[in-house]
Amino acid sequence: MNAAEANRDVTPADVDLSRVWLGVAARVWARQPGRLERLAGRLLRSPGLARALLTTPSLLLGWVIATAAVLAAGAAATSWTGTPWVALIAPAVAGTGIAYAYGPGIDPAWELSCSMAVSDRMVLLVRALAVFSLNAVLGLAASAAAVAAGISGSAASVTFGWLVPMTAVCALTLAAATVARSAMVGVAAGLAAWTITVLAGQSASGRFTAVVTDSALILPYLACAAACTAIAWYATRTPKGTT
Amino acid sequence: MNVEIAGVTRRFGRNLAVAGVDLETGPGVFGLLGPNGAGKTTLLRMLATVIGPSAGTLRLLGRDPASYGPRREIRRRLGYLPQSLGYYPGFTVAEFVEYFALLKEMPPAGVSAAVATAVERVDLGGKARAKLRTLSGGMLRRVGIAQAIVNEPELLLLDEPTAGLDPEQRVAFRTLLRDLGQRATVIVSTHLVEDVGAACTEVALMDAGKIVFHGTPAELTARGEGRGTGDAPLERGYSAVLAQARS
Repeated sequence: MNAAEANRDVTPADVDLSRVWLGVAARVWARQPGRLERLAGRLLRSPGLARALLTTPSLLLGWVIATAAVLAAGAAATSWTGTPWVALIAPAVAGTGIAYAYGPGIDPAWELSCSMAVSDRMVLLVRALAVFSLNAVLGLAASAAAVAAGISGSAASVTFGWLVPMTAVCALTLAAATVARSAMVGVAAGLAAWTITVLAGQSASGRFTAVVTDSALILPYLACAAACTAIAWYATRTPKGTT
Repeated sequence: MNVEIAGVTRRFGRNLAVAGVDLETGPGVFGLLGPNGAGKTTLLRMLATVIGPSAGTLRLLGRDPASYGPRREIRRRLGYLPQSLGYYPGFTVAEFVEYFALLKEMPPAGVSAAVATAVERVDLGGKARAKLRTLSGGMLRRVGIAQAIVNEPELLLLDEPTAGLDPEQRVAFRTLLRDLGQRATVIVSTHLVEDVGAACTEVALMDAGKIVFHGTPAELTARGEGRGTGDAPLERGYSAVLAQARS
């Protein structure tokens, strides 16, 4: 008896084997989303958005560990020297993470993503918020560690001094990265602007920590963040016209 | 009509990539032919709602893609294979197709079955759990086709889909195209005239951003009788129309 005859003997005539196989394949190949992805899916009410969030380059484990290591080193330097290094490096670190969240140079399937029902602008927004939140939490932990080590000043002033500048730097890197369609350009713009601000603060007041301690700068930081967010929003519209 | 475009123009700075194209088409396989730089890819990117036109109007699946709500609805029913398919090297074939099924907002309960069906249709069942970085160029092209058809699209846009496929795969792909064209509008951009002859019910030929011919493959072939250059009748029609457009 050959194989075909054997199959005929064991398979009822009304069974569609290819359909059965597709059912088996669907079960075998299906990926079980992790706990984090399921949580994100429930929060965002979109499994696609949750999956897109978890593929963010600057949320991958290696990147998160590197960010934590830089901020931990900053916390150690802060507690040894008394200079708020965490406050000075947190905006730069977070801005770099934001620039590497999404874009044509970072996302290999960006062209395809731009034709999807889950809009690329929404993906960018969710990824940017997630990266910002993670960096804020890590920065808060580093600041708290520095305060616990005996740095003068209230926990609130040491902690929140850098949050507003970090918002401005993140918005700037996001705007530059989306306009130039290059994460590198975003990082360069953010780091350059932050360095210039720190140096300008030093030349004006004699203290290079003035950029995170002078409350008069809060309004300009917020204005910069708002303007840059508007630019990023404009730059991520469906391209039209002559560009 | 699933695709209705009128006077569509697209500029990139000073370069006029698409120059006032009018086109209407319904279900079937539509071949978009033309030499390199003719504007085929730009036209396809506009139809895929990746970029908007500089001037003119588009209606896709009866909706205006300029507005957010209709654009989102079009994208749910759209399949698109770009000319250069970027991919995540760490994803498996099934994961990649599933990712785009989710981004197309398919109902989550039906995604696994749709992924299995799409992967089998492009004959990649044996590689479903293989990482994309381990696949050949032809296999990656088929992965791209699988993600494009996973949602059973009503409008399917394929940019050079047979690039990198071996002859056997190309024959199987043409069969798949004919099958898909029974229900959907399939627009295939290619510079391989034999693909058009074998699979398309309608064909347009673009040159310098304009459509210089629109008809059936038989009509294009007829334009080359006694004229044109090429080994096959359709190639002679292609070259005759191009020569006439440029004269």
